[in-house]
Amino acid sequence: MANQLGFYVDMSRCTGCKACQVSCKTVNQLPLGVTWRRVVEVDGGEWIQDGEQYVPSNVFAYFVSAACMHCENPLCIQVCPAAAITKRDDGIVLIDQDKCIGCRYCEWACPYGAPQFDADRGVMSKCHFCYERIDGGEKPACVEGCTYRAIDFGPLDELRAKYGDFASPAPLPEASITSPSIVYSPTSHTLAEGSPMGEVMNREEL
Amino acid sequence: MNTQELALVFYTILVQMSVGAFVILGFVHLYAERKSDQKNADEMSDRALLAIGPVVVLGVLASLFHLGNPANAFRAVSNLGTSWLSREILFTLLFVGTGAVFAVLQWRKIGSFRLRQMIALAAAVLGVAVVYSMSSIYQLTSQPAWDSLATPINFFSTAFLLGALVLGVAFVINYSYLQGKKDRANIDIQSEMLRKVLQWIALSSIALLGLQLVVMPLFVSQLSAGNAAALESAGKLTSEYGWIFAVRLVLVALGAGVFGLFLYRNALLNNQRMMANYAFVAFALVLVAELLGRYLFYAMHVRIGI
Repeated sequence: MANQLGFYVDMSRCTGCKACQVSCKTVNQLPLGVTWRRVVEVDGGEWIQDGEQYVPSNVFAYFVSAACMHCENPLCIQVCPAAAITKRDDGIVLIDQDKCIGCRYCEWACPYGAPQFDADRGVMSKCHFCYERIDGGEKPACVEGCTYRAIDFGPLDELRAKYGDFASPAPLPEASITSPSIVYSPTSHTLAEGSPMGEVMNREEL
Repeated sequence: MNTQELALVFYTILVQMSVGAFVILGFVHLYAERKSDQKNADEMSDRALLAIGPVVVLGVLASLFHLGNPANAFRAVSNLGTSWLSREILFTLLFVGTGAVFAVLQWRKIGSFRLRQMIALAAAVLGVAVVYSMSSIYQLTSQPAWDSLATPINFFSTAFLLGALVLGVAFVINYSYLQGKKDRANIDIQSEMLRKVLQWIALSSIALLGLQLVVMPLFVSQLSAGNAAALESAGKLTSEYGWIFAVRLVLVALGAGVFGLFLYRNALLNNQRMMANYAFVAFALVLVAELLGRYLFYAMHVRIGI
């Protein structure tokens, strides 16, 4: 998709404050249990022996802010039996809640946990890239809400030209599965996908 | 597991059992017709055929409880091009429809025997397509506990294991009904066919149990060699849900194995009262085992990523 939009996250600026998450939730008035943008905390480190005692070594933490990746190959669209999910010309993946049957198949299929079940309405709900704001010339809520200016968005080609094409910090899955429209700038501690070195510390928040 | 997934436990088990019973009933009818005649074959199988109807309808109704927004259920066949879920629903509707047409024609003896046989064959093929598309739904890269050859093997083994054993029960009930009728001219041939068919049902159950017991450890070792999500699933199966897994294995081994053997033996010796009892017990144990197994299927899956 030539004019595919994507997100950019500078992980070296992110402190894990979750302002992006809160900003998204507020602007989009998300119900309890639905969180379109989530911030994963990954920690790691080890104890090494130093003479008589063990001391911590290589201790690290990093944060992965992630929402819907508006993938080039969206599994959610492929599996949705109601054809309720579509991709716009600018690559934004949208759920039409009037067509959704609430079968939650997209929730099973998406490795980013993007489609979430809105129990009040019985249908799926997902980051829509704040398309109404974008169409009106504004920025997405998460981009605007980030206190450290760590999140940006734009045409994916431009983001990749500027920042590279790293898309899979652990615990995100291999990029080859869905070709996500995202670029991350890693920190020196960021682990690549599949690494067993780190552990997700806030699973109940995701 | 959420309540919506619990609806799927009943939906998949009931529909798979119906498909298995329908297909096997076809073979039984062929056998009975060769052994005696069309009339006796119909006497043996027609009531069992009608009993499949309510079971499959119950399953389809259960599936509606899976939907958060059942008012839109009619949209579920909108993505036949890429969604196995759409295909599964379409095949289910076609199976139920064709099976119902066949049941009515067969019950009322409308149309030629050949015609009815062709419709039954079409329904059986559609039934197999239902189970195949059902298992394909779960071939998701994001779900290592489902994305395995074990899923189709288990779904088909459930279909034929429960299908065979529920038919055993149906034939036993049908036979006692025939015994109570005034016209008992054909009771000897019916009795002979019953014990032969029960023997085959028992042997098939034992064989399918063997298949399950081979696939199970292969599946667990496949998971144990997989990624983080696969390992977590393996852990759930063996620790968190370990006792359900153990109970499920014991019940299926008892039902299909031990009582399967008792059923075979008593059918062979034409011990009518005991073989009827064992047919009931074997089915009941395996039904509970399969429900637990399907519960585990939905309870153990862990998605990769976040």
